Amino acid sequence: MIDHGKIEKNLGLMLVLVMIAISIGGLVEVVPLFFIKGTVEEVKTPEGINMVRPYSALELRGRDIYIREGCYLCHSQMIRPFRDESMRYGHYSLAAESKYDHPFQWGSKRTGPDLARVGKKYSNEWQVQHLIAPRSVVPESVMPNYPWLMSPLDTSDVGDRMAALRTTGVPYSVSKAEYDNNVKDFGADVAKQLHIPDAKKNLIEQAQTGKYDGNAADVTEMDAVVAYLQVLGTMVDFSKFDNDSFVKFR
Amino acid sequence: MASVAIGGSEQYNYDIVRKFTIMALIWGAVGMLLGVFIASELAWPFLNFDFPYITFGRLRPVHTGAVIFGFGGSALFATSYYIVQRTCQARLLSDGMASFTFWGWQAIIVLAALGDVLGYSQGREYAEMEWPVDLLITVVWVVYAIIYIGTVMKRKEAHIYVANWFYIAFILAVALLHIFNNLAIPVSLTKSYPLFSGAQDAMVQWWYGHNAVGFFLTAAFLGMMYYFVPKQAGRPIYSYRLSIVHFWALIFMYMWAGTHHLHWTAIPDWTSTLAATFSIMLLMPSWGGMINGIMTMSGAWDKLRTDPVLRFLIVSLSFYGMSTFEGPMMSLKDVNALSHYTDWTVGHVHSGALGWVAMISFGAIYHMVPRLWDTKMYSVKLINVHFWLATIGTLMYITAMWISGIMQGLMWRAYDDFGNLQYSFAETVAAMHPYYAMRALGGLVFLSGMVLMLYNCFMTMSQAKGVASGDMAPQAA
Amino acid sequence: MEWLMWFTKLENTKPLGLLIFFVTFCAILFFVFGSKERGERLESYKNMPFQDD
Repeated sequence: MIDHGKIEKNLGLMLVLVMIAISIGGLVEVVPLFFIKGTVEEVKTPEGINMVRPYSALELRGRDIYIREGCYLCHSQMIRPFRDESMRYGHYSLAAESKYDHPFQWGSKRTGPDLARVGKKYSNEWQVQHLIAPRSVVPESVMPNYPWLMSPLDTSDVGDRMAALRTTGVPYSVSKAEYDNNVKDFGADVAKQLHIPDAKKNLIEQAQTGKYDGNAADVTEMDAVVAYLQVLGTMVDFSKFDNDSFVKFR
Repeated sequence: MASVAIGGSEQYNYDIVRKFTIMALIWGAVGMLLGVFIASELAWPFLNFDFPYITFGRLRPVHTGAVIFGFGGSALFATSYYIVQRTCQARLLSDGMASFTFWGWQAIIVLAALGDVLGYSQGREYAEMEWPVDLLITVVWVVYAIIYIGTVMKRKEAHIYVANWFYIAFILAVALLHIFNNLAIPVSLTKSYPLFSGAQDAMVQWWYGHNAVGFFLTAAFLGMMYYFVPKQAGRPIYSYRLSIVHFWALIFMYMWAGTHHLHWTAIPDWTSTLAATFSIMLLMPSWGGMINGIMTMSGAWDKLRTDPVLRFLIVSLSFYGMSTFEGPMMSLKDVNALSHYTDWTVGHVHSGALGWVAMISFGAIYHMVPRLWDTKMYSVKLINVHFWLATIGTLMYITAMWISGIMQGLMWRAYDDFGNLQYSFAETVAAMHPYYAMRALGGLVFLSGMVLMLYNCFMTMSQAKGVASGDMAPQAA
Repeated sequence: MEWLMWFTKLENTKPLGLLIFFVTFCAILFFVFGSKERGERLESYKNMPFQDD
């Protein structure tokens, strides 16, 4: 029989037992999520194209700025399956919708509203005005002004950033084979945006044609942030699915 | 006094304890000042001054870093080095290594704060530090573990006192959590992307986030409790056997509970239910610790009337009991549906952080300072004033957050006669204003107590001039 | 990794969690309160913080 006296007196045994005691919870709850298929559902069009895609170069840079400014400390990106939340924000969030989010930005506090489906709800002009001076469009807001987002965007390392994400498993392409695979999975238009060698060119093109900051001439941080906000929650077309088709994944 | 006489100045390394104590006081004041400022930003947003480096989003991690890792961490280093030496009757394994943990830890706090302000963030709550700082934390932590375990190995008595168990569990758990939560692929010195994404990343982050509370802010502070409550009360802990039972139950169950931060999100339901179950059960070991601490006073309650330091310790246990009751309640899915995303969570955290963590640290520091500097406290009266400021400040803070949290949760889900949402989001934000102002005021009251403590302790140190230098041996109590 | 699927079913993990927790808990209780002699020895350790005075 084991004697508890041994544990209190044998430091090595105690260290081992403490390690076991603190490991079980994580092993049982966290580890299986990496292996269970249903954790992240597949969301495809009838033609077999993935609806959820990795961010374009410009959107990714916008997301980096979102993280830099600590937006997640006041805005969640996770709509819960409640009547009031679906009326206020839209369909509840699917795990698939953040499958390329390194890190996740679900947040824990709504000092401001949820942003999981903010994309396309407001015009680019509104977003720009709201970011520069929130109280000029929403008088009750307590959000800081972000006028410095009108400064030029640093695009120098966008390829490196995508390459780092590729290492974690995001399907950005480098080789021809990877590119072709993306054409199959996401369609030709998206595959073009995911090609790392063209990252900078694609970024500038999207900023100039999208005119997110209202100005086609230069590429600003505002272009990137607004491009990111406008894509949030818009990738999955819920009109293509039955009402209850995602319930089995909960 | 016998043991002091044996070793003289060589017996214990108090120099390192003094250094960490001083930094705990300084980081406490800095971190709480930042807290009051960012609370004010939410009440009066003009305070962001269109200046990137002081916006709420960037300063909030500086606040949490300064209070949790700066104040809490320094207090834990100080008390753990103090307790491990005195209960093992052995000097720290290595003075050089101890000194390294001091300078390393202070560098971490400063680098983390600079990184937050400049916008170098991993975007993970309570783990915003980018990878170079994470590596430095790992190195310092390993050295800390070696010193701590090495010192326990040098102990004079076969048995290891229970306070050390809690510190050991805290050191191991924090190492485990820190490493797995910060796995990332670097892009540059100031930017990296986490290895995991989406739902899995969320699970890892809240496994870390909740257990940072469970081990950094609870288990370790229980270690503090198991030494300083008996010492200050002058009587042994109520039940040693209870401490053994609740130790194993607490460290085992805490690790299951993190997922209650993700109720109703896009993670599988079974993880969420399991986490809620363990969170409810966690009430028992939590209250085991509280009862053990408070019952230590049985038969000597009158000491509370005359000793403000003891009052700090006992009231901190009451707040601990209250927030460990509130926590399991909030982990019920139906309650969580209302409380999540609101200020109720913020209030809950602060009833633990101000009421339990900060107050027990205040008690421990007030106990240690006269002994470390071999003198009497400059003013016992000021300790008493601090006690009341801390208590009133905490109560103001959590009351404000209860009202605003529950009110906002109810406003979000209110419908009008036609079944439409009754309030726009902006209307609910406007309704928060008075409570945000009240919260900032409560924080200010708490901060003013902290400033009094800083003054009181530095006056105590300066009246003991000459003793403060590292080579002098302070007298034991 | 198919066996991990077993853990995803609540009807399995609930009793499992309960079992692990309960057995461990009973074992600790037995160690701590099972013998009067050991109990007295354990309680004597509560005086350790006072030995350095």
